Amino acid sequence: MLSTFYVIRSFWLWLPLFTEPAAAKLPVCQGATAVYADTTIVIRALAGLQYEQTRIVVKPKTRFRIVLENADDMSHNLVVTRPNSRMKVVEAALKMGTEGARKNYVPNLPEVLANIPLLEPDHTDTLTLTLDEGAYPFVCTYPGHGYVMYGVIHATREPKRLPSVEADPYVPKRTGAGDHSAHQMASPHPYKMTFPALYRTFMPECGPAAIAVGLPADAAVGQQSYCWDAGSCRLRYVWTGGFVDSYGHWEGNGNRLTKVVGDIYYNDRSGFPFRIGNTTPVPQFRGYELVNRYPKFMYSLGGIQVTELIKAVPGKRGLVRQFTLSAGKQPVTFLLDQQEGVQYQTRINNVVASAKNGRLLLPAGTRQFTVTMLVP
Amino acid sequence: MLLTLLVSTLLAVAAPADTLTDYYTVETIPTPEGLIVETGGIAFMPDGRLVACFHRGEVMMYNPKTRKWSLFAEGLHDPLGVLPVSNNEVLVIQRPELTRIKDVNGDGVADRYETVTDQFGMSGNYHEFAFGPVKDAKGNLYFSLNTASNGAGIREEIRGQYDSLGRQGRMYACVPYRGWVMQLSPDGKLTPWASGFRSPNGIGFDAKGRLMVTDNQGDWLGTSKLYVVEKGKFYGHPASLVWREGFPDIDPLTLTPEQLDSMRTREVVAFPHQRMAHSPTQMVADLTGGKFGPYAGQLFVGEMDFPRLVRVMFDEVDGELQGACVPFMDKVGLRPGNNRLVFAPDGSLWVGQNDHGWVGARGLQRIVYQQGIPLDVMAMHLTATGFDLTFSQPLDEAAARQLANYAFRRFYYKYHRAYGSPEMDSQPVPVTEVKLSADKRTVSLALSELKKGYVYELTLGKLRSADGKKKVANQLVCYTLNRLKSSATATVHTKP
Repeated sequence: MLSTFYVIRSFWLWLPLFTEPAAAKLPVCQGATAVYADTTIVIRALAGLQYEQTRIVVKPKTRFRIVLENADDMSHNLVVTRPNSRMKVVEAALKMGTEGARKNYVPNLPEVLANIPLLEPDHTDTLTLTLDEGAYPFVCTYPGHGYVMYGVIHATREPKRLPSVEADPYVPKRTGAGDHSAHQMASPHPYKMTFPALYRTFMPECGPAAIAVGLPADAAVGQQSYCWDAGSCRLRYVWTGGFVDSYGHWEGNGNRLTKVVGDIYYNDRSGFPFRIGNTTPVPQFRGYELVNRYPKFMYSLGGIQVTELIKAVPGKRGLVRQFTLSAGKQPVTFLLDQQEGVQYQTRINNVVASAKNGRLLLPAGTRQFTVTMLVP
Repeated sequence: MLLTLLVSTLLAVAAPADTLTDYYTVETIPTPEGLIVETGGIAFMPDGRLVACFHRGEVMMYNPKTRKWSLFAEGLHDPLGVLPVSNNEVLVIQRPELTRIKDVNGDGVADRYETVTDQFGMSGNYHEFAFGPVKDAKGNLYFSLNTASNGAGIREEIRGQYDSLGRQGRMYACVPYRGWVMQLSPDGKLTPWASGFRSPNGIGFDAKGRLMVTDNQGDWLGTSKLYVVEKGKFYGHPASLVWREGFPDIDPLTLTPEQLDSMRTREVVAFPHQRMAHSPTQMVADLTGGKFGPYAGQLFVGEMDFPRLVRVMFDEVDGELQGACVPFMDKVGLRPGNNRLVFAPDGSLWVGQNDHGWVGARGLQRIVYQQGIPLDVMAMHLTATGFDLTFSQPLDEAAARQLANYAFRRFYYKYHRAYGSPEMDSQPVPVTEVKLSADKRTVSLALSELKKGYVYELTLGKLRSADGKKKVANQLVCYTLNRLKSSATATVHTKP
């Protein structure tokens, strides 16, 4: 076995993932050049018509094994073709018509070197192959998939001479994969990003009905943004340094979460802050209206309608949360999340009112209160 | 004179050279720079503007007169359907909720986003799309909820009740009403309406106002389908059953396929995989009264993976709906990815495209009827012994009477847990007799055998119009035979 190991020291240096000894199944980062220390190469079919590995580098005239794991929710195969024959094979598979399914959409062509038949989701199969020097496409020939779902096996003694993955003409180009910094320069929309800006999206450390809001930048503290949970109707966390990167979430099927751009400086740990009498009401989200683009969230607590509008504290790291309440007969308590380093200033009906033991008591009939949260 | 006569004689015997582009043209609508045109929904506002929503959360207006786009709303989470309420108000479905979006201050940009309902669960799985809404004549809204995919797991925090019994299987429903069609009444009551859906990315009505849903080939769906949706019924994908009132506390996958088969309501039309469709999308009934050509009253269904639409012709057999499908606008300029369809006030059919990580395309096109009548199948009715096919034009008699011009094959798709299905028990079915009606528009075909539970795939040969100028626009017709005519049951041929 050892004789088939193919190790190039310089590659190990710039592929930090490959620090463990050769294993039967090696982790590979997406889209990266993978030089395998073993003869077994694991390729995963993923949601979004893609193979997780799009470039494989092997030694010519050396037997190797490909394991295809279908981690998608639809069927895929893997066909290795002669160099520059991917589209010919893909088009031939399309023309197979009704016999296609029976033959795993693998056309009977000399350009087909080897194949793993159509795999249902969660199934795995293998092929073994020895290649001469060259660039050999591998592709899913299930009708329609082959236009985007492919990769390349480079059989070469000189892997250093391969182009970068980005410049490799045999590797599919996925917009948004990789170079996210460039995206952030331009707006992802047909209009200029204007702050405040709001996205309903999948955010980390939040329920699935999340709202991300980016506030206008401030010369002193930069941009502040926050995540508000429309499921549990509460502020979840706040960060500085930017807004969000949604490209990963927008690409493909939406499995990846939107990313926070910047550093989270406050994460709420106290849960839902309202009490009516002694009970914790179950809130119902009712939407929001935009006031100079600032979302004013609306939710109900039993019979009480609440609005919440959040702004940045000018020149400081912190938020001003302005609440209104509809008329209610019971006193309401607002619990301040007691965390080290978090300071609060509170006002009821525009008059300074102090909280006791982290509890801001709102007498029956309170229509408006403000909680200013500072995290210096 | 003689020359003209000669030429015209030559033309008459030459093969007809018309194409569908003689009758319909496809135009691509320019979209704003920077817009990722993954179209989630399109509709027309009362004032004639197009409203469209896109994957990255924009809701945009397009004025077909001025050809100008403007932004109406933004920040939505994968909006996949839009329904206008008035010139300054729309309903949009997005992942977490159905939202009423209004421009209150009249500046053309929405400033109020009201949650109409969010009373369904979200596990955070990427496949939990929401589709709709559509409105019936009584003002009820309907929307459909996708199941989750075991291509990924669920989030640590979810919304709604969790049921581990619904977590099993390839496509799952571990939170309420995944795999359901929901009804929201005008007074705000939300009712789980029907279950058994997998990926119901198509909800709408036929010309008679019947609620319809398309579902996508996959586990429990041997091929993609069109259903007529009625209250309380179960349509075959088991995961959603855990949210059915009165359903026992069991994993629905412990039921046998035979048990599930006896519970389910079958599709009215199956779209044979590959031949007809891979991923059917929204349907729209042609209510243009002829502005869109000869297909008034029929149903058009979008298709994601192929550059075409699918046309549906219904047949009522003893009060039960079934029917046939035909490709429409196949490979004549329409892109793939045909996710959303809507008729404009002028009778043109607008198509919003999407790819969204799957096969497809991005953009917006419209199909405009020009003039003339293509030679096409307009109706397919089951008879006691075979099928009656009615064409849009009188047929050339000699060609129409040739048995060889009607090649039938029948097969069925297996109802099982596995993904998709091969074509089972595929057999050619010889045509034993063909009759042509006096007006030469209807051929009556007798088949050697008719069996229920099969798709009858008909490939038409070189039929042409009586004047020799037109060839048949589409040669493939697939009829879903769920039910035989009761008058036929006594004489139906059984398999030898």
